[in-house]
Formats: sequence, C-alpha cells, structure tokens
Amino acid sequence: MEWVGVEMSGATTAAPAEQLTVRLKKSFRRDSGSQFTLDVELAVAPGFTILFGASGAGKTTLLDCIAGLQTPDEGAIAIAEVVLFDSESRVNLPPRRRAVAYLLQSLALFPHMTVEQNVQYGLAALNQRDRDARSGEVLESFRISSLLQRRPNEISAGERQRVALARALVTRPRVLLLDEPLTALDAVTKARILDDLRAWNRRHRIPILYVTHDREEVFALGESAIVLEEGHILARGSPHEVLQRPQSETVAQLAGFENIFECSVTGSHPEYGTMTCRIAGSTLDLEVPLVRVNAALRLCVGVRAGDILLASSKPQGLSARNVLDGTIASLEQRDMKVIAIVTCGPDFEVHLTLAARESLQLKPGARVWLVIKTYSCHVLQ
Amino acid sequence: MIVQALTLTLRLAIMVSAILLVIGVPLAYWLAFSRRRWKFLVEAVVSLPIVLPPTVLGFYVLVAVGPLSPVGRWYQALTGHTLAFTFEGLVVGSVLYSLPFAVQPIATSFAAVDQKLLDASALLGASGWRTFWRIVLPLGLPGVLTGLVLSFAHTLGEFGVVLMIGGNIPGATQTVSILIYDQVQALDYATANRTALILLLLCFTLLAILYGLRRRGVWNGWEWR
Amino acid sequence: MLTILPLLLLTTVLCSAAHAQDITVAAASDLNYALKDLASSFEKKTGDKVTLSFGSSGNLYSQIRGGAPYDLFFSADIAYLQKLAAAGLVESSSLRTYAIGHLVLWVPNGSSLDPQKLKMNLLLQSAVQRIAIANPTHAPYGRAAMAALEHFGLKDKVARKLVFGENISQAAQFVQSGNAQAGLIALSLAVSPAMKDSGRYWELPTDSYPELQQGVALLAASKHKPAAKAFVEYVLSAEGAAVLEQYGFRVPASK
Repeated sequence: MEWVGVEMSGATTAAPAEQLTVRLKKSFRRDSGSQFTLDVELAVAPGFTILFGASGAGKTTLLDCIAGLQTPDEGAIAIAEVVLFDSESRVNLPPRRRAVAYLLQSLALFPHMTVEQNVQYGLAALNQRDRDARSGEVLESFRISSLLQRRPNEISAGERQRVALARALVTRPRVLLLDEPLTALDAVTKARILDDLRAWNRRHRIPILYVTHDREEVFALGESAIVLEEGHILARGSPHEVLQRPQSETVAQLAGFENIFECSVTGSHPEYGTMTCRIAGSTLDLEVPLVRVNAALRLCVGVRAGDILLASSKPQGLSARNVLDGTIASLEQRDMKVIAIVTCGPDFEVHLTLAARESLQLKPGARVWLVIKTYSCHVLQ
Repeated sequence: MIVQALTLTLRLAIMVSAILLVIGVPLAYWLAFSRRRWKFLVEAVVSLPIVLPPTVLGFYVLVAVGPLSPVGRWYQALTGHTLAFTFEGLVVGSVLYSLPFAVQPIATSFAAVDQKLLDASALLGASGWRTFWRIVLPLGLPGVLTGLVLSFAHTLGEFGVVLMIGGNIPGATQTVSILIYDQVQALDYATANRTALILLLLCFTLLAILYGLRRRGVWNGWEWR
Repeated sequence: MLTILPLLLLTTVLCSAAHAQDITVAAASDLNYALKDLASSFEKKTGDKVTLSFGSSGNLYSQIRGGAPYDLFFSADIAYLQKLAAAGLVESSSLRTYAIGHLVLWVPNGSSLDPQKLKMNLLLQSAVQRIAIANPTHAPYGRAAMAALEHFGLKDKVARKLVFGENISQAAQFVQSGNAQAGLIALSLAVSPAMKDSGRYWELPTDSYPELQQGVALLAASKHKPAAKAFVEYVLSAEGAAVLEQYGFRVPASK
C-alpha cells in the first residue's frame, strides 16, 4: 500500500481535503430476471454524505464500484487527481490499491484473529512499533483498547462495529464507504458510535459515503444527502432539503410520510399564502401552503403521522386550518407508540403516545377530530 | 513379512500424502477461485480417478508409458529403470489414484471461505498471496486436514494399482493388501487373518484419533459468528 | 393387451428352455486362446453356450471352495482338482488330464539376447534386470519356474531380479510390455496369436521341472452336467486335441 508510506510522519494531521468524483453506468440482470441500470454522477466532498434509498436502488452496487469490487460498464471514478477507474483510458485499480475503506454491513471481521490482529491487518507495510502506535491511537478514538486480545465472537455487536471501523480507518483511507453499519444496534450504542465517528471525521476530513435507511441518522450525521432510486439519483442537497421538503412522492415515502394523498387544487388564496386541495375520491379539503402550480394539475400532498393531533371532542379556537371529522378504524401499539387509523373518508395514519390513548380512553369506533396545521402538509410533485 | 509389508505400506501412504499436500493445495486453490471458462475440464480430469478402475492406471503405467513407448524410454534413460516394479512407480500410481481425494475436500473448504472476508482483506491492501496465507488457508484448514487424511487412508488400502504394476516384491512393492491377498491365495487363511486384523486395528486407531481430534474442535477451524 | 402378456411369457420361457444347457467354465489363464477356440467350435456344433472365466488356478480353486457356481474347472495343476475331489466338490470320476503344460524362456523382439543360444544363462546377463514369473505361492507355472531355476542352480543368483505376476498371463504381460526383460511363461501363451510375433523363446527341458499336469473335472454342484460332460468329451476328442496341440499344449497319449 504505497499511500500508507505517505502518511509516515504525522500521526493525527488531517489528510489534505480531497473530493471523490464518480460518474458511472452499470447494467446487469437481477436474479429476478429484470434488467437494472445504475446511472449516476456525483461528487462527494470531505465530510458525511448520506446515501439514502430503498433496497434494490443500487446503493451497494455503487459502493462496490467505488471500492473496486465490481466494475462499471463505463465511466470514471477518481479521488482528487488520482484516477481509480476510467473506462476510456482503461484504468481499473484493484481494490487493494485504491485507498478506499469499505465497511460492509456484515462487517467481515476475521473470525480467527484477535481484535488487535484484525485492526493491524492493513498495516503490514509498517514496522511493529509504528503499527502499535497507529492502532493504539485509533482504538483509543473508538474506545476499544481494552478488547485487544479478544476474538470477534467474544465481543458485543456494538464493539464489533467499533472494531470494524477502527480496522478500516487505521489505514488512513482517502475515502470511507459505510453500508448501513449501525442497523442492528440499539439507540444508545448507535448514538455513541456516531459521536465517535463524527469526532474522528472532524480530525480527518475525508469524503465519507454513508448508506442508511434511517432518517435519524441522516439528520444526525449528514452534511449532505443523496437519494438513489432505481439506479438514478432522485435528489441531492442538505438533509433538510431532501427530507423535510421532499420534492417527489417516492422520496416522501422514503422520508417517512405515512400519509400521501393525490389531490386537485380547488382554490387558491395568495393573500393568505395558502391554497385548498380536494383529496381525490372524496369531499375532504385540505388547506396547504401555496405553491406555484398549474391549477389543473394533480398534486400529491404528504402529511406525517406524527404531525397530526387527535381530539376526542371537537376543538374550538385553534390556529390550525384543518380540522377533520372522523372515526377510529383501528388502534395498534408498536414499541412505545400507538398507531391509529382514522377514517375521514380517506384514511389517515396518526401516531400517538401510550399516555394519550390512556387519557382520551380511545377505542376503535370512537368519533374523533384530526387537527393538521397548514405547514404540516407538504406539497409534492 | 508382515512388519516389512506394514512399514512399506506406511512409507507409501506418508509419501503419497505429503506429495498430494504439495500439489493438492495450489491445485485446489486454482479450482476454488479461478474463473476460467475451461475450469470444468480440469475438474473432470482431477475427478477421473474416482470413476476409473485401477486397471486403467495400471495399464498406462505398464504399457502406454512402459519401456517400449517414447515416454518410457525417456524415463528409463533418465533413471536407469522402469516405473513398474518399483516403489517410485507405486508412489506415482497412488498419487494419481488418490488425487481427487486430496484435492476435492481442500477445494471445497477454500471455496467456502466467505467472499466478504476475501474482499475485506483486499480492501485492506493485502495481495493475493497474503490473503491466501492469512485468510484462506487458516479458515480452510479443516479441508486441508481432511484431504490429507483421506489420501493417507486411501493409499493404505490401495490394492488395484499395486496389483497391476507392483510385481509383488517384498520390501519394495509388496504392500499389506497384496500380502493378505497372497496369503489367501496360498490358502494360508490363518496368517491372512492375522495380517488383516493388524491392518484393521491400525486403520481403526488412526481414524479414532482423527475423529477424537475433531471433537476437540481442532478440525472445525474457527466459527464465523 | 392381455393376450400379449402370456405370449411374451411363453417366448421367454421357450428362450430360456433353449439355453438350459449354458455352461460356465473356470479355466487357468494359459488356456486363454485354446479354450476360446474350442468353445466357439463347440457352440457351433451343439448350440450350447460356453461362458469362460480365466484366472490363476489357485485363485479359481479358492473361489470354488467358496462356492463359486462353475460347471467345469480346467486347472493348470491337477493337484488342485485332487484337493477339490477330496472335499467332495468335484466328481472324482470325471477327473481327467487333458494336457501337459510346458515352460519356456521368452524375451521380447527388441532384446539383443538370443534365448536359443544362451538358454538359461540369459537370465544372468546384466541387461536382464527383471525376470517375470507367475507367483509361485498360488500359480502352477510359477512353482514350475521356481523349480526350474533351482534345477539350474540359478535360484539364489536371480532371486532379487524376480517379479511376480498375479497369474501366468500377467507375467507374460510384464515381459511383453518390456517392463521385464525376460520371463518364464507358458508355451501356450508364447505361441498364442498375441505373443508369437513379438518375441523369441526357448523351451525348457521337461526334466527341469515337475510335470505340469493340467486336469479338468466336473463340479459336483453343477446344474448342467450333460452339457458339461459333452464339452469335456469334445476337448478330449481328436479334434479337441488337435486344437490344444496347435496352441502349445502336449496332449497325453493315453486318456
């Protein structure tokens, strides 16, 4: 690994800021028989970039191509001026020469080696003293120094995660790829690991491409987000731009809008900054923020289940513009929240706390009112 | 007689297993990881000795590469004698005959190593050799041991090939299996019984030790969890 | 459909009835060519099928003792038949000597040594590294070869050069393929079509080894005795004797 030699001097000096540029196209036949094409172009700056998308969208293929485990049909991949792949000039560096660290979902820790051996695996080019120094430093950062002589099957899931990160980062890679690394962990462990990763990233500014399904992680980590769907980039920008104000229905679903309705505009009130939309197939109207759109067009409006208030008696004197009359169709407890389906013509999914269900004595069949603020309705194209 | 035949048989088995270890591991590695389109042909050739009777092998050593053929003449010029009737001839015949028993378990074991571990190794900068030495071999060790044991056991019981080309020379090509056969042919059932029993006990002890080691976990390598 | 079944059944029964006189014969390997010839002539004459199994006499003896279902046993050594008769496995009344076997010294064509000139001393030549004989522990020709070597005082001198064939055929195979430079094999094999043009031989004097009386007997457990007896009669007839002589066996003058 030639690039390790470059870092010999400073132990914690940050590597020069470098951008990862990717432009690639790859087609293949899926197991199900259907044809899939990944066609993307992106530039990842140092820092956390979240790659967000449904399963099958092509995220893993993209990461594999960047790491060199798969070869695109055409395109170019480079880190700053170092070309990793270029179909035109026929450059295709093997994974071991790319200086790309890739953390797989399965972690792939070597089961027959200790934590220390695992972490030092990538440092073969250094002498023992330097190896110990480097691994010591990264183990400290991730707080696993005490686990040196243990085997992967002797430590907890969270600790394994840290070891995998340490092993990947000790080699001072120029790009870090993470494929849903924290899915199997509990919230507390997740949060701690993310903190450590963030701290490490502040010290070593390299592009990090982080794949996740979890919105929490996007906001916790993301400096920038990219949404991938069916092999194409659907949206990119800040996490807020991409998720809080999703521009498309698919992104909205991904972003966790439990309620999405097809509507047509029935009236607009520019002086109030709102417009009225009728939910298709019903007589229900919603007042939503004004958007410049052709009145004849059909829109989609999305509302988060957590943004809807439930009242057991008709509320008076509220600021909210939407107060809907309905009946509870079903109540279901999931973890620490209650999911209520309320029929007001169309069905709404509402999330409540256990306490709320208790105090309101909610039961299926009960008559309730839904309260939705105008700004909780998001107009999607 | 028995002692001589036994030591000869053990020497043959050890030599054959050692040779098969040396050629078997690289061959198995190639079979496990190569992506050449004609790999299936090599696999077929390697598996041939499982289906072919030892008579075919004997025929080739005796006639097709015997002293009257160009290959045989070259060999004779090189070494001064023929392959048949010699210990070396038995080694060659047994190596060919036990080849698949060594190669197949090793190849299967190598191929079973999680591809993700190999990817991880490559991503951490390891060369193909380093990945083999530090990941594939340690994790594939159970298969290597199995291959070693199988070739040893298979050679211990070798009969057909030895019968075809051995010439039954005590101390050089008279293995225990041939000795027993001879004793039966000579109607000396008592001695044959004794000899057979000794071989049986030897094989049983060997296998018992090996399976005992397996219980201890030495066999199973490292659990991937 | 139903009418076809009984017809099929009838046909099979008739066919098997037609082959009710199939006989299986166990024979010493040196009879390989001679017996095949005799068997096919017999088949043409009588329509009875003869199935031949060749091996070393000692091997076949063991098999018969173990209950192998042959009808006839042509042994290269009458002693085996005598043992079987004593055990009640062959009909002693049927025991006959059909031929006398002879031993020859054979070398392949490529050899520079002339067996006619050198005779037994050929075996002492340094060019002869391996001498093939049949295994003396269970093959009659092997025992005869060892007796001959002893007779000529060569046994100790050539002991380390000896390689043993499983039966006389394998011994011949060793020397014909060139893996052994010389061999003491059966005359019947030396004059056989497969070997006669590929080497030269010298016939050993008959007093140098005990006579190889080759005998035949009917097995007591045979289920096809009439046909088996007929085959033996054929072999011992003038016609049969002529074939045997042609293939290198000396037929005894009296029966």
